[in-house]
Amino acid sequence: MSDRSSISIIIVRKTLMVTVPSDPDDATVSALQEEVLAAMQRVDAKGVVLDISSVETLDSFFARTVAETASMVSLMGGRTVVVGMRPSVAVTATQIGITLGGIETALSVERALDLLDRPAAGRRARR
Amino acid sequence: MTVDVQGEVSICSEGDIVAARRSVREAVTELGFGLTDVTRIVTAASELARNVYKYGGGGVMRWRRLDNGGRRGIELEFSDHGPGIADVQLAMQQGYSSGKGLGLGLPAARRLMDELEIHTAPGAGTTVTSRKWCPP
Repeated sequence: MSDRSSISIIIVRKTLMVTVPSDPDDATVSALQEEVLAAMQRVDAKGVVLDISSVETLDSFFARTVAETASMVSLMGGRTVVVGMRPSVAVTATQIGITLGGIETALSVERALDLLDRPAAGRRARR
Repeated sequence: MTVDVQGEVSICSEGDIVAARRSVREAVTELGFGLTDVTRIVTAASELARNVYKYGGGGVMRWRRLDNGGRRGIELEFSDHGPGIADVQLAMQQGYSSGKGLGLGLPAARRLMDELEIHTAPGAGTTVTSRKWCPP
């Protein structure tokens, strides 16, 4: 059974606001990637705010898909900010070596939107 | 209300990985593990259930409560009748994977649980048994 319908993407000021359901199956996680990329092109978005604040389990498949999606969004010229990782999820992810290296993160959607209003930080500016 | 002391989830589809996670979450929350440990155990279960589905061609997860002289814990056993693992040492190394994935599954589960044992042989399937104990 797929929770596909429970992915929500809304567009605010050319930014995709994506809400991830709390316990998505693998098909939903894969669908999320496809739908984000399709929406990027459709609305000419400048970036993605990926709200994982209700996610209770971030395993290696999920983390890999998030990391891949962020690099695909980057190839399309957008930025991805991952928002709201729960403390217990951050502890667990770090323990198993999931770093989401290079992906911008923020504690809240509000901070993520502020981040996207500013030019990309250090990593890119130095290039 | 009666409390289950063991349970079983068959893992034959992608959706069963979610069912395994939910079943483990319920069991370990009931046992009194804290939120971070619950997250660790459920994440380990997710990795091992996916291995059963993706590499083992399906199988079963069994969980049971442990009571060792008053110390409580959970045991998770994942069995499949797949091709088995030819080189367990290699499979336990971070970054190694025979299929799609980060090669994080087994090493991740070992880091998140207190104990983890693998019984496997080429052609004989794989059984991974892992345990986590409630902090005193």
